[in-house]
Amino acid sequence: MRKDLVFGMAGSGGDGIVSAGDSLLQAAAAEGYHGVMTKSFGSQIRGGESSCRVRIATEPILNPGGNLDVAVALNWEDFLKFGAELPVSGNTVVIYEAATGIKETEIPLVGVTPLQVIAVPIAAMAKETAGTERAKNTVVLGLIAGWFGIGAVAVMKGIRKKLAKKGEELVNANQRAFDAGRAFAMEHPLKTSMAVMPSETKGQVKLITDGNDMCAAAAIFAGCQFFGGYPITPSTEIMQFFTDHVWKYGGAVLQAEDEIAGIGAAVGASFAGKKSMTATSGPGLSLKSEMMGLASIAELPLVIVDVQRGGPSTGLPTKTEQSDLFAACFSAHGDVIRPVLAPTSVADTFRITIEAFNIAEYYQTPVIILSDQEIASRKETLDPIDTSQFKIINRQEPHGADLVDYKRFKQTDNHISPISHPGMLGGTYLASGIEHVESGAPTNSGSVHQRMNDKRTKKFDPLKDRKDLFEVLGNPDAPIAMIAWGSIAGVCREALAMAQAEGLNVKLLVPYLLYPVAEGVYNEFFTSVQKGLIIEQTHLAQTFKLLRMHIDLPKGVKSLARSGANPFLPGEIVAALHHLLSELQRSHEGQLQPQE
Amino acid sequence: MAIQGIDFANLSLMDALDLAILIEDEAQERYQDFAAQMEQHHTPEAAKFFTYMVENEAKHGRELLARRTQLFGDTPRQVKAAMIFDVEAPDFDEARAFMSAREAMAAALASEVKAHAFFESALPSIKDPDVRALFEELRIEEIEHQELVQLELAKLGKDNGVDGSAYEDEPAAQ
Amino acid sequence: MSATCEFQAKDYKSDLKPIWCPGCGDFSVVQGIYRALAAIGRPPHEIAFVSGIGCSSRIPGYTTAYGFNSVHGRSLPIAQGIKLANPDLLVLAAGGDGDGFSIGGGHIAHLIRRNVDITYIVMDNQIYGLTKGQLSPTSQKGRVTCTSRFGSLEEPVNPLLYVLAYGAGFVAQASPTDLAGMAAVIEEAIRYPGFAFVNIQSPCVTYGEEAQQIRGLKAISESLVSLGHNPADRLAAMDLAQHYGEKMHLGVFYRNPEPAPTYDALVRERQALLSKDALPKENILDLFIKK
Ligand SMILES: Cc1ncc(C[n+]2csc(CCOP(=O)(O)OP(=O)(O)O)c2C)c(N)n1
Ligand code: SF4
Ligand SMILES: [Mg+2]
Repeated sequence: MRKDLVFGMAGSGGDGIVSAGDSLLQAAAAEGYHGVMTKSFGSQIRGGESSCRVRIATEPILNPGGNLDVAVALNWEDFLKFGAELPVSGNTVVIYEAATGIKETEIPLVGVTPLQVIAVPIAAMAKETAGTERAKNTVVLGLIAGWFGIGAVAVMKGIRKKLAKKGEELVNANQRAFDAGRAFAMEHPLKTSMAVMPSETKGQVKLITDGNDMCAAAAIFAGCQFFGGYPITPSTEIMQFFTDHVWKYGGAVLQAEDEIAGIGAAVGASFAGKKSMTATSGPGLSLKSEMMGLASIAELPLVIVDVQRGGPSTGLPTKTEQSDLFAACFSAHGDVIRPVLAPTSVADTFRITIEAFNIAEYYQTPVIILSDQEIASRKETLDPIDTSQFKIINRQEPHGADLVDYKRFKQTDNHISPISHPGMLGGTYLASGIEHVESGAPTNSGSVHQRMNDKRTKKFDPLKDRKDLFEVLGNPDAPIAMIAWGSIAGVCREALAMAQAEGLNVKLLVPYLLYPVAEGVYNEFFTSVQKGLIIEQTHLAQTFKLLRMHIDLPKGVKSLARSGANPFLPGEIVAALHHLLSELQRSHEGQLQPQE
Repeated sequence: MAIQGIDFANLSLMDALDLAILIEDEAQERYQDFAAQMEQHHTPEAAKFFTYMVENEAKHGRELLARRTQLFGDTPRQVKAAMIFDVEAPDFDEARAFMSAREAMAAALASEVKAHAFFESALPSIKDPDVRALFEELRIEEIEHQELVQLELAKLGKDNGVDGSAYEDEPAAQ
Repeated sequence: MSATCEFQAKDYKSDLKPIWCPGCGDFSVVQGIYRALAAIGRPPHEIAFVSGIGCSSRIPGYTTAYGFNSVHGRSLPIAQGIKLANPDLLVLAAGGDGDGFSIGGGHIAHLIRRNVDITYIVMDNQIYGLTKGQLSPTSQKGRVTCTSRFGSLEEPVNPLLYVLAYGAGFVAQASPTDLAGMAAVIEEAIRYPGFAFVNIQSPCVTYGEEAQQIRGLKAISESLVSLGHNPADRLAAMDLAQHYGEKMHLGVFYRNPEPAPTYDALVRERQALLSKDALPKENILDLFIKK
């Protein structure tokens, strides 16, 4: 029996393939499995091709998986449009619509011979049982329940609940379509059984959510009371979540007239003493950069979420990429350090978002959360999180003696000055984008500027010692290493496990803090490293270059970078690691005294 | 609109005194502002003269206040600062970067003339004889003030033709 | 509101020395603001005063309120964030004609339609002062500046008509030719419950034209009260606003006799209405449990 299955399904917009994926994930969660689901769409607003990937496993999983175990094509044209996003291998069972008229031996997949190919009259079964082809997705769910043992009960329970308001007849029609699919599967068993083991955690509560909702929920948990933003895919859901919930906590949300106004309002709210946030994607990040500079020099806490998509400009608005790294670290002019954090999964988005608020509040600075389209939009099943383990930090406010002759930007030992806010007696000051002396009064003195730049940059020094914002996996003394962040870190985690299973001595560094670059952490990590890969989804190898700018990378550490929407597969990374190992061995053989 | 909401015909002596005090206060404040502006802009001669005017107006104000207190104690004031504007104070834009002392004096002189005109024009409508006497006194004092400024001007000697416009008057752009 | 003790104009004046050119109209505006604030009587620490960038935008620093001298054109977004974050504050926004009607012009319509309770003061000098005298959106057609050597080819915007058309509930104009009137108008604007706009003709003595100096302004000024204008009459206000640039009408053009509810008040209402539905924060993730 299997412990882990990756489903990939594609069809036209109206086929309901994504809602089938949703139902499957929910059913899996109800049955105690761990799951991750990603969706991908063509460029049409409606009715274009759509696909989803659902990975279901008995153990926790950290990415949407590599090659498909099960491919479902409602039509081939649509399926093929997703190319590398739905990779079929020799271990894949391919299920497709018989009405396409294509023979099982002639399916249009070049260069692979799937494990098994089955044509199923999906549309015909839907029409026959439910009276409409619309029920194709329910037939597919029935097939999956039959062949892979997921959701036999839970799927229909979910559908029943979803359609409850629409009437009994529709529910019954779906039930018949589901049963037909299941019966078909029973009558045509697979050559090799691929049923999934029952989960041991069946019956335990699981959460299902995506990165955007998780980020917003974490923000509210962290005490965020204001959100200002402007809609942009794939970040909009963050604003939507605030619209649904933040009022309840005495907060407010503003859909502004543009990104500048959105972050402007958030800067204002922060000045007024409230934790505040804005969220956007590439083009919006460009517009916000001037305000980010303002928040830096005025030392105002603020969290900016950038859900990365393919850029520049509109780029690939529905696909993931990591190419906003430079913009996150360096946009806005002037000498500025602005912390950049990156979650690697929906689950850790909770912690990273709280960290972002804590850092913003403690250091009085804007902080960027560099999420990406995949994490933001993918759904994960999660075990409940014990929220009591998270500490919330609030900005340090002036009290008593601080408020006698209060100096907002007072030099202190840790370069952090207690911050007042309107309404606080004795704390009045001028916040400004212009350089200022300790009181806040404007100045154009070069020496003050130097001192204030020192204050505003040195205050971040302790952040670079935050080892807890990094994760080292694998053997800490391994000679071969990977570094990856964001959603790509998930793929590398899986590659690490695979490589270790194959006996490779490898380790992986996952930075959650991308900027300022924590030189010490990297240097320590690199002490044992002779060969390595910095793996990222950017065309220019931005991560590699960012690190090289701060650290003397060991010679054998190379870049593995590619443009967005071209996913990495764990298998190819393992292959690359093997290649590094053989290079390493060759270089050792060339030496007279082989190294230990 | 230098005066607003004041009925001269029925002005009481206390109100008239208060009005005069407010007028002096306003002028004092404006000159103070000007002096600060000139100091800020490294024009010490004009600053010095404006400071001199501040002292003049203050002195005059104090005298009026003493009289008011003697006659009416601390009976609350009925007239408000908002009722007057630029009676004896020069217009806001009379100050100029790098203005010479001569220009500063000319501005002050013009204001004293303006103040004199104010009292003169108010006089005919005043009924109360005490108030009339006060305004007449103030009117004459404005002439004395003019003379004071004239005196300062005379001290400067002959005009060498150098005034503020001879300097490049440019704020730093941002 | 905690206006317990009386405040005087000087209580709102900070120790910072203005960088403005001597004689700049903005000196009068800050005086007008001191007076208006004194009349209102809110303590300085309960006031947030936001500006953009420009000579005029230096103004918050010259008051004892919580000031925010932000970035060019963005005083309004920041001010509304402050007001929404803490509706108890008295929030003022101010800046120049370039700041307000050019780079920040897009924000005005939205502040007005949201009716955020903010008073917005524009120091309209028909020029870019801080950058040394370029054409501004309110410069007259034909105006010669360093970026229009042969005269501007553009019509100016009419700020009064603009905000009236957007539906602002309070629209007024003032000038240093009448400081008391300016103070009164600003006070009234602050008291108006909703977005209030005050255009102040504030001469730039350095780059302004002769006709726009106080003497010139006096010659074309006319108080709306003396014209018998009824500020409740929006159409009449629009009629009068057409004269922007030729005549200088001073006073209140329009005051909505039935002010619409403010955005900040609606936010409060919504918060009150929904607060009972709040999950304890520590359980917020329960939202993601699919039953
Ligand atoms: C984004 C940006 N663009 C341009 C500038 C340069 N700049 C500063 S002030 C200003 C215009 C000032 O004119 P106005 O807003 O009318 O204010 P004034 O100085 O006349 O009071 C400009 C263009 C800037 N600071 N920021
Ligand atoms: S340049 Fe003009 S607007 Fe700027 S301070 Fe000088 S006079 Fe005022
Ligand atoms: Mg201007």
